[in-house]
Amino acid sequence: MARQVRSPRAGIAFVAPLFVLVLLWAGVVRAFGVDPRIFPGVLDVARAGLDSIRDGSLVMHAAASLLRVAVGTALAILASVPLGVAMGVSPAVSSFLAPLFRFFSVLAGIAWIPIATLWFGYGFGAITFVIFNAVFFVVTYNTLLGVASIPLPLRHAAASLGARRWTMLTEVLLPGALPNIVTGIRTGLGFAWRGLIAAEMIATNVGLGYMLFLARDFYRTEVIVFGMVVIGVLWLLLDRLLLAPLERATIERWGLVRA
Amino acid sequence: MTTLLRLWSFYARRTTRWPGVAAAIPFIALIASWAIVAESAIFPRAFFPGPLEVVRSFGSLVYKGILPDYLEDSVVRLAVGAAAGTALGIPLGLWLGMSPRAYSALWPVLLFFQAIGDIAWLPILLIWFGFGLATMTFVIVYTVLFPVVLNTVLGVRSVPIDLHRAALSLGASRARILWEVVVPGALPNIVTGLRNGLGYGWRALIAAEIIVGTSGIGFLMFDARRAGSVVEILLGMIILGLLWSVVDGWVLVPIERATGQRWGLIAR
Repeated sequence: MARQVRSPRAGIAFVAPLFVLVLLWAGVVRAFGVDPRIFPGVLDVARAGLDSIRDGSLVMHAAASLLRVAVGTALAILASVPLGVAMGVSPAVSSFLAPLFRFFSVLAGIAWIPIATLWFGYGFGAITFVIFNAVFFVVTYNTLLGVASIPLPLRHAAASLGARRWTMLTEVLLPGALPNIVTGIRTGLGFAWRGLIAAEMIATNVGLGYMLFLARDFYRTEVIVFGMVVIGVLWLLLDRLLLAPLERATIERWGLVRA
Repeated sequence: MTTLLRLWSFYARRTTRWPGVAAAIPFIALIASWAIVAESAIFPRAFFPGPLEVVRSFGSLVYKGILPDYLEDSVVRLAVGAAAGTALGIPLGLWLGMSPRAYSALWPVLLFFQAIGDIAWLPILLIWFGFGLATMTFVIVYTVLFPVVLNTVLGVRSVPIDLHRAALSLGASRARILWEVVVPGALPNIVTGLRNGLGYGWRALIAAEIIVGTSGIGFLMFDARRAGSVVEILLGMIILGLLWSVVDGWVLVPIERATGQRWGLIAR
C-alpha cells in the first residue's frame, strides 16, 4: 500500500497534491462561475464546516457515527474471535461451517439494512446491527482460516509439552491466527464504514450519513461536500493510523511476508 | 454416540468423494434449523417467516415477472458499471504505475477519493443527476474504479526493474514493453483488483438501489420493508447471496486462480 509517512518531507509530498487539487477546485469554480447549487466553492465549504463546528452539529454527527462503529465492531470482535477459534480447532466442524460463513460474509453489511430496520426499528439498534454484521462474518471466517492454517505439528508439539487447553488457546491458537484476525477486522471495518453511511442515510436522524442526506433535501451542496471530506478524512485516519499499522505490526512481528 | 459417529463417518466419506455435497449439506442443515425455529413460533411469524413461505413468494414473484425484471436490472447495472470502471481503471493504473511523476502527484488524491467511499457520493449525485440510472452507474463505476487502479499500480510496480532492462536491451520498444512485460506482470494484481472492486460494487449497487429506489433487487427489498413483508426481504437477501456466490465462485475465483497459476504464483 502507500509508503509510510515518516519524514516531514514525505508528509509534504503526500499533502501537496491534495493542496493543488483544492486550488484547482477553487480556480475552476470561480473561472466558470459554477452555480453553488451544483457545486460549491472552497470558501463556502470552509464556512459550512466552521458553522457546523461552531454549533456543535459536526461533533454530534461524527460522535454518533463513531460510537455506532465502535460498539458494533467491539461486539462483533468479542463474538467472532471465540467462535472462529472454536470452529477452527476442529477440521470437521470448520469444513462443515465454512461454506455457511462464506455465504454470509458475502451478504455482510448493506444487504441487512432492510431487515435490520424492520427488526430493530429506525435508530441505533438497526445501524449497530448492520455494522456488527459486516464485521462479524468477515472476522469469524478469517479467524477460522487463521486457526486452520496453524500447522498441526505445532499444536501437537505444544500438547506433548504438556500445554493445557487454556495455554494452547492463548499461546498457540490465538497468536497463530492473529494476522488473519487483524486482516479480517480491517476488511470488515471497510465494509462496515460503507454500510454505516448507507444505513445512516436510510434509517436514522443523527450521524454523518444523515447529515449529508439532510443537506440534500435543502440543496446545500457545501454541507454535502464538507461531509464527504469529513467522511474521507475520518476513514483515512482510521485506516492509516490504526488499522494498517496494526496489520503491518502483526504481520512483521509474526515474520510473515505480505503476499 | 456410536450412531452419531457412524453418521459422521458416512458424511465424511461422501463429502471427500463429492466435494459439491460438502458445500450443500451445511445449507440444508441451516434451512432445516431455520424451519424448526420458525415453526416453533419463538418469534412472531410476521417477523420471522419459514423457508416455505419464502419459496412461495419466490414462485409468485417469478410468476408475476417482477423478480426476473428486477434481477436483470441489477445485473445489467453491475455489468455496465464494472465494464466502464475496468476500462477506465486499467489504463489509469498502468500509467500511474509506469510514471513515477504521475504516481507521486496523483497517489494521495486517489487514496483520498477512495476513502470518501461510493455511498457518500449519493446525496450530491442525486442533486446532479436526479433519481435515475446515471446516479447508479456513476456510483458503481466509482466503486469499481479504485480497487482496480490501486491494484494495477501495485502490480505494475511489482514487476522487477531487471525485466524492463532486459527487454530494453533486447531492443523492445516502449509499446512492446508495455504489452509484453508490464501488462502480463501486473495481470494477477489486476484480476484481484477487479474481484475486490466487484465485491464493493455489488454492495454499492444494493445501497444505491435502496436509496435511489426505482427498480432492482435492492429496491425489491426496501419496498418489501415499507410494506412490512419480511418474506420478500429474506428472498432478496438469499438471491443476492446466491448470485454473488455464483459470480464470485464460478467466474472470478477461477480467473484469479488461472492467472495466478499461469504466472507461477501461489494460488491462495
